Amino acid sequence: MPSSEIVNQIGLSHYLVLSAVLFMMGFLGVLLRRNVLVMMMCIELMLNAVNLAFIAFSKFSGRIDGQIMVFFVMTIAAAEAAVGLAIIVSIFKRFREVNIRFFEHLKG
Amino acid sequence: MTADAFIFWFLSLVAVMSGLSVVMMANPIYSALSLAMTMVSLAALFATMGAYFIAGVQVIVYAGAVMVLFVIVLMLFDLREETKAFTRGQISGAIKLAMVGFLAGLVVFVLTQGVKLMAAPDVVDAAKLPEDSSKALGLILFNRHVFGFEALGVLLLVVAVGTVALARSKGGTHAKQ
Repeated sequence: MPSSEIVNQIGLSHYLVLSAVLFMMGFLGVLLRRNVLVMMMCIELMLNAVNLAFIAFSKFSGRIDGQIMVFFVMTIAAAEAAVGLAIIVSIFKRFREVNIRFFEHLKG
Repeated sequence: MTADAFIFWFLSLVAVMSGLSVVMMANPIYSALSLAMTMVSLAALFATMGAYFIAGVQVIVYAGAVMVLFVIVLMLFDLREETKAFTRGQISGAIKLAMVGFLAGLVVFVLTQGVKLMAAPDVVDAAKLPEDSSKALGLILFNRHVFGFEALGVLLLVVAVGTVALARSKGGTHAKQ
């Protein structure tokens, strides 16, 4: 019975499909939400999904370089969150709002 | 069902449900908490795959530091419940959904190709991950990837200075109206 094999044998494709599902949710959130903070959270969700794919490939190919790449991605994601939140704070100070429709005219 | 399979299905269910609620919740605080939940369950998945150091870093950096940053910024803003949390326009929304579906199909195609590549015998016969993957990770990070590590240090310094410069402009968070 193939279905029980799919349920019981957790392979690379399981992790990759989970990663793809999480990535698509983040992508959908970035497209559909209008709150800039939630959009940044969805970007973090996408980065996490990619990290999951990296770790899965690292495990199933027996090479540890994927974990190095995840380490780098995490650092850059933290930096991106810091800079993005600083920009959001400065935009909020100007418009008193974090909805994306106020950012359409990014003039000084 | 074996224990490994049960843990995988449970964690992936938690990750998908909380990831969905990140997108669907109208209140951003609930989105932030759901995102923290997603990150913790992903950290548990990393631990089941033997990446213990990455799992710890995931909890500390993502579920700890980054999420605290998000929640603090949310608290600065005094946001009421949003009335227009999602995009207006049904046509553009439908186009966006179709784009997501298209990209999903593309990703699944690429993933199946990748799985075929991984099924090649020489890749599978490669050396298995060592038991103490943290030690191997440190060795390879400070030998082969040391230049990238240094570049990350420079990047973090630049980001710290830039963030302070951005946040301090015109009186910081206590700016007069």
